[in-house]
Amino acid sequence: MFPGSKSALMEEGLSSLPTVPADDPLEQLVRRIRAGEIDTFEHLMRRTEARILALAWRILGDRHLDEDAAQETYLRVFRSLHAFRLGESFEAWMLRIAVNVCYDLARKRGPRSLPAETLDVLEGDAASMGVEETVLLHQRRALVQRALSSLPQAERAALVLRDLEGLSTEETARILGVRPVTIRSQVASARAKIRVFCSRLLNTPPGGRP
Amino acid sequence: MTPHVLDQLPLWIEGDLGASEQAAVEGHLADCPACRVAAEELKTSQAWLREALASPFNASDQDRLRRRVLDQIRAEAPAKPVRRYVLRPGLLLTACTASLLIATLVWRQGGRHEDRPLAMGPPPAPPVAEHPSIPEPPPLVVHRLTKPSTRLQARAAPNQESAPPPTGGPSRIEFQTKDPTIRIIWLAQSGPLPDTHQTFEEKS
Repeated sequence: MFPGSKSALMEEGLSSLPTVPADDPLEQLVRRIRAGEIDTFEHLMRRTEARILALAWRILGDRHLDEDAAQETYLRVFRSLHAFRLGESFEAWMLRIAVNVCYDLARKRGPRSLPAETLDVLEGDAASMGVEETVLLHQRRALVQRALSSLPQAERAALVLRDLEGLSTEETARILGVRPVTIRSQVASARAKIRVFCSRLLNTPPGGRP
Repeated sequence: MTPHVLDQLPLWIEGDLGASEQAAVEGHLADCPACRVAAEELKTSQAWLREALASPFNASDQDRLRRRVLDQIRAEAPAKPVRRYVLRPGLLLTACTASLLIATLVWRQGGRHEDRPLAMGPPPAPPVAEHPSIPEPPPLVVHRLTKPSTRLQARAAPNQESAPPPTGGPSRIEFQTKDPTIRIIWLAQSGPLPDTHQTFEEKS
């Protein structure tokens, strides 16, 4: 691994993270846990678990694997809490760990295949189901999931953090350990690819398949 | 008409362009139906993206996750404290000095027996003890070369050899291991140590 490479920068705690004010509530919880109040970790989880689960779902797209990823994220957070630099954004630090955990699990899982249920909906006849909003919703979800699964891992992570987690380009760049210009390039590429996938459904004539 | 802005649309859609670039793209879109269609498709695909990736997890999923994690970290917490143990420099220096001294003395003691011929036959049978199931602890010999303390005297073995009267100098504690050729000698003194070789010869 070369110094400064993406893998090196993605190590937890190496590249700098966004800073937060001194009265950041999460940082207060971190201080208490470090002082030995282990039960305070439950409060920390209650404040962050929805976001971590959602992030895992958006990167991995597999409910069972997502829960494993969230659990592993929190265990890594607890075990390396002493390495967190006070003054930086704890949430950004935790998101970085979660992304790394998702990368690890995705690597172990191998190439992703869509659930059979999703593929059934995708391959179904769009015209016969089109009048039902629920069916359309499933169809759109299947299409977007397929589009996301076709993205390179880095583009998907950048898209998720920037467009779905609501982080700025700079925050996303710091969490992923790359330059902001790289994030701009990755999200632009990912958005264009998603649009091409979705345009198949948008431009489908009545009775046609997406 | 200005050039098409299809390449800039993916950045324009989420406000990733600078203010002037954003304005330029919007100006072009007002006059270009083709780019406007592409921009509408992009808006729609971004909306579908957010819709498709809404989190499917509910409160019970979160509770289950929390229970699993908390059970695990409570099991780990006693064995692995969160706070790092920090060695005090003085303690660390004392420990290193004592270890170095013991290693040196043991090495020198071992070097004295290098000239002995190697035993070619089976090792001699150990002496039969009255209670063979209870191993006899190695004899402990404590030599206080300075003013002896009652605590150390109490720990001395009953077969303690008679030590010369304290004449000043370091505290000296000897441990005789089961191997009669190996003896561990520990010296402790706040000031500079005496010539260890001379001290060893005195014992001999």
